[in-house]
Amino acid sequence: MKPILRAVRLAKVYENGGVRTPALQGVDLEVMPGEFTAVAGPSGSGKSTLLHLLGCLDNPTAGETWLGERRTDQLDPVTRASLRLHEIGFVFQAYNLIPVLTALENAAFVLELRGEPKKARHDKAMAALEALGIADLAHRRPNQLSGGQQQRVAVARALAAEPRVVLADEPTANLDSKTGLALIELMKKLNQERGITFLFSTHDPRLLEHVGRIVRLEDGRVVADERVGAA
Amino acid sequence: MWALAWRNVWRYKTRTLVASGAVAVVVVFTLVFFGFVTATMTGMAEVLTSESGHLHVTSARAKQAHDFDARLIRDAARVEAALLRELPDVRLRRVLEVPALISGETRSRGALVIGTAQDDALGERFAREHVAVGRLPAPGSGDEIALGEALARALQVEIGDPVYVFAPGTEGWGAAAYTLVGLLDFPQTSHEIQAAYVSLEGAQELAAPGAVTRLEIHLAPERGAPTDALVEETKARAAAVLGPEVLVETWRESSPDMAALLDMMDPVMTVFSFFIFVLAGLLVVNTIYLGLVERIREFGVIIAVGADRWRVMRMVFTESLVLVLLGTAAGLFVGGLLVASWADGFRMPGFDEVLAEYGMPAVLYPSVTPGQVAVTVAFAIGTALAAALWPAWVAGRLQPVEAMRHVA
Ligand SMILES: Nc1ncnc2c1ncn2[C@@H]1O[C@H](COP(=O)(O)OP(=O)(O)OP(=O)(O)O)[C@@H](O)[C@H]1O
Ligand SMILES: [Mg+2]
Repeated sequence: MKPILRAVRLAKVYENGGVRTPALQGVDLEVMPGEFTAVAGPSGSGKSTLLHLLGCLDNPTAGETWLGERRTDQLDPVTRASLRLHEIGFVFQAYNLIPVLTALENAAFVLELRGEPKKARHDKAMAALEALGIADLAHRRPNQLSGGQQQRVAVARALAAEPRVVLADEPTANLDSKTGLALIELMKKLNQERGITFLFSTHDPRLLEHVGRIVRLEDGRVVADERVGAA
Repeated sequence: MWALAWRNVWRYKTRTLVASGAVAVVVVFTLVFFGFVTATMTGMAEVLTSESGHLHVTSARAKQAHDFDARLIRDAARVEAALLRELPDVRLRRVLEVPALISGETRSRGALVIGTAQDDALGERFAREHVAVGRLPAPGSGDEIALGEALARALQVEIGDPVYVFAPGTEGWGAAAYTLVGLLDFPQTSHEIQAAYVSLEGAQELAAPGAVTRLEIHLAPERGAPTDALVEETKARAAAVLGPEVLVETWRESSPDMAALLDMMDPVMTVFSFFIFVLAGLLVVNTIYLGLVERIREFGVIIAVGADRWRVMRMVFTESLVLVLLGTAAGLFVGGLLVASWADGFRMPGFDEVLAEYGMPAVLYPSVTPGQVAVTVAFAIGTALAAALWPAWVAGRLQPVEAMRHVA
C-alpha cells in the first residue's frame, strides 16, 4: 500500500524580521490510508507546522511533501488551494466556523466552494451532521453552540466533503477533557467505520490512549513513532 | 455567496447603515439633482422658444452687413406663403425690427420699434405674459403703440399720450405719431428700456413696406419641447423651400450661448455626481476594509479549507456590492418618490421674479430619464467595485497560516 501523506527530510524555517526560527528540522513521515495518527509533542515542537505543510497550507523551506502520488511542496497558492479544496479536510483548534452561517451551511461550505448544487450539498452536509450526532442543531449559528458542538460541526464540514485525509490541528485544545475525548472517539469511529484517514495533533497525553499511532515531535524532529493499541 | 455577503454585511449594523445610508443619500441627491437641473434646462429652453420660436428665418445678408437695409427680407409675403405650404402646421410670428428715435412730449430715447403679426394663440400668450397695463396695439393698426414700462417711464408718457417715432433713412415714411395703449413688462430690463411694440403693418409703413427682419417658426403649442431632431428636420425642410436669400436657424443656432449652457449641463452634472459618489465610496472602502481586518482569521479558515485567491476577492467584491446596492435601492426608492411627487410642477415660493430674471421658468417639472437612472446605478456599482479594490487585493494576498494566527 502506498502512503497517502509523506514528508521527506521536511524542514521549515520561519523568518521574522531577521529572526530565523527553525520549526521543522528534517522530518520523515509516512501516513498510510486508513490510519488514525496523532502528532504529539510539547508546545513549539512543530506540530502545527507539520500539519500545515502536509495540508498544502504553506510551502516548506526544504524537503518534500507528498499527497498520494502527487508532490505538493513548492506549489503556487492557487494549486494548493485547489488541492485543499478537493483532497483534504481540515479541523482547526478554534474559530473553525463562519459565524453568520448555520451549522448546516458551515458543514456544506466546502461543497459550496466546490460548486456543488444546493440540494446535493445540503444532503451531504446533513448526513455528516447526523454522523456526528448533531443533526438537531443544524439550524443553529455557531454562537448558539457549545465548543464541543462547534468542533463537531467542523469535523462534519471535513467529512461532508469526503476528503482523502482529514488533518486536525489540536481539535480538542479548547475543549474540556471529557468533551475532547468524546470528539476523538467520534473521529475514531468515523475512521473505523468509513476508513477515513485522520492525522491530528495534540499535547494532551490522555487522548493518546485512544489512537493507533503516535508520532512524537521535539524541536522540529521526530523523536518517536509508535504504533499502539488495537487500531 | 450573495446570502453569505448579505449576512456578513449585517454583522456590523451601524457601519453598514452609515455606509449604505451615505450611498442612499448620494443616490437621492443625484436623482433630485438630475431631476431639477433637467427640468430647469428644459424649462429655460421652453421659455426661450415660447418667446421667440424654435426656428428663425432671417435675411442671409444680415450676418455680414449690419445696416438696416441688409437685414430685411423684402418679399415677406412670398417667403411666408412658401413656408406655410411646406409646413402647414407651424405657427408664425412675423417681426420687423426698426432702430428708431422715440419721443414723448418732452423727452426722447433710442429705441427698437418692433412690429409683430402672429396667429392668435401666440398673440394671446405674449399679451398674457407681458402686458402690465392696457393692451397691445390692435393687429393692423397704424397708430397704436405699446412701450416697455421702463421706456415709458424714461419718456415720461402715460396711457393715452402721444408718442413720436423717427426712423430716418428708411424706405417708409420715416416718422409717425402713435397713441400709447399699453405698458409692457419684461423680465430682462435691457429689453424693457428699449422695446416699443407696434403692429407689423405699422412698422412696415414706418420703415419698410412689405418687409420683415425675422420670421419666427413655433412648433409646439404647449409644454413639452419638440425634440432637437424635429427642429433640425423642420429646419432642413424650410431651408429647402426658401432658397439661399434667407437663413434658417434653429433656436440653438440663434442663441448659441444658451444652447451651449444647456448642452454643458449633462456632463457637468455627471462629473459632479461622480465626485459625490467618490465621497460615499470612501465610506464604503472604510466599511469593507474594517469588515475584512476584523475577520482576518475567518478569512484564514476560508482560505485554508480551499477558497482560492479569486474566490476570496469575489467575496469581498460581493459584500461591497451588497452594501452599495442596498443603499442604491433605498436611494432610488426615496429619490424616485421625491421626483415623482414634484413631477406635476414644483414652484419655489417667492422666487418667481428672480427666476424670470434669469430666463428660468417659475414652475419646474422635475423628471429623470432612464439614462440618468442608469448613470446613477452605474456610478453606484462603479463605487462598489472601486471601493472593494483595495480590500479585495489585501484579502486575496492573505496567507492562510498567517491569517489564522492573526490576533485582532
Ligand atoms: N509564522 C511564524 N513565524 C515565526 N515563527 C513561527 C511561526 N509559526 C510558528 N513559528 C515557530 O515555529 C515553531 C513551531 O511552531 P508550531 O506552531 O509548529 O508548534 P506547535 O507544536 O504547533 O506548538 P503549539 O503546541 O503551541 O501549537 C515555534 O517555535 C514557533 O514559535
Ligand atoms: Mg500548534
